Amino acid sequence: MSQPATTNAGVWTEGSPPANVRLGPNTLVTDHLAFKRFHSKHIDALVIGAHCTMDGVHFDLGEQGRMVIGDYCYFTNAVLLCELEVRIGNYVVIGWNTTIADTDFHPLAPAERIADAVACSPIGKGRPRPEIAKRPVIIEDDVWIGPNATILKGVRIGAGAWVEAGSLVTRDVPPRARIMGNPAQIIGEVP
Amino acid sequence: MKNRKLEWDWYPGTIPENVLVDETAYIETTFSFLFYRSELSGGVEYGRGASTYLGTMFDVGPRGRVKLGECALVHGARIICDAEVSIGDYALISWNVVLMDTYRLPVNASERRKELELVPARQLRLASANVPAKPIRIERNVWIGFDACILPGVTIGEGSVVGAKSVVTENVPPFTVVAGNPARPIRQLDSKERTHHA
Repeated sequence: MSQPATTNAGVWTEGSPPANVRLGPNTLVTDHLAFKRFHSKHIDALVIGAHCTMDGVHFDLGEQGRMVIGDYCYFTNAVLLCELEVRIGNYVVIGWNTTIADTDFHPLAPAERIADAVACSPIGKGRPRPEIAKRPVIIEDDVWIGPNATILKGVRIGAGAWVEAGSLVTRDVPPRARIMGNPAQIIGEVP
Repeated sequence: MKNRKLEWDWYPGTIPENVLVDETAYIETTFSFLFYRSELSGGVEYGRGASTYLGTMFDVGPRGRVKLGECALVHGARIICDAEVSIGDYALISWNVVLMDTYRLPVNASERRKELELVPARQLRLASANVPAKPIRIERNVWIGFDACILPGVTIGEGSVVGAKSVVTENVPPFTVVAGNPARPIRQLDSKERTHHA
């Protein structure tokens, strides 16, 4: 957070971001680990709009991952795990230590998981990994997500929804709903 | 009191002037004060033998105050405080626990937008909307498991236990074990348990 807030172009405090990352005007990205696990091969793999604060956020994109974030977003130490697609709207707030993942990382079937464990191991070099479930995560405008929450693959969170701290979100959330719990349930509506 | 450095600190910071530290207390790193901006005298108060370790962050606003009791052990909590967070004597707080006495941003989306438009111009880019804060009280001898969240206005009674990953939305009576998200009472600790170890 040492960077002056008045810069016009988007800035990563630790240097130049990967070439396929676009930061909008006055957007600030901090933390030396921000792109430590950024492996996407897409052109414009990560596009962040204007006036965003991405403080200590980890952009962990796999080779096929693509992520779009709107304007005036405010994320604190979020971990964004993206193997396919994550789309986040404008004025979205994500609290400390929240995780978003658009994949399960490993297959469900035990036999396939053995094959995956071998493929991922030091002796499995070059072996193809089995098919792994991935579904886009979509977070619409004005969503507030508290600290320590988890958003799983395939979830769409409707505009203006309020996700309480510590929620584990496994299903779509209607616009303006207030949700909490594990698994998260609707507890009301945003006034 | 002058700004103080810690000889063992990896972070080149100092203990803020208005933080009161008992001579027997231990602070692992001054990185914990990166977002500390309380203007009150005793914005954080360390009691006898109290300690905070790496990962503990005092995200304390100008009118916020945090109190750590005797031998209170805070092992990596995010303390988001605009009013008061008090942690009693002998309380044990695990890693990645969130203690928040405020939501920092308005619940109303159009008011929240206004604040989010102001944030990028600020030096530390922190939200400072006038959102009401409700103090949190962790009484003596409470134990909070890792990844738990304690929401605004909650009091956790003496000797109670909060299970890992719990989200506590309501007051917890003394000597009660709560767990779950949202947290629910599991059982009461009986008088024997209160005085002896199993």
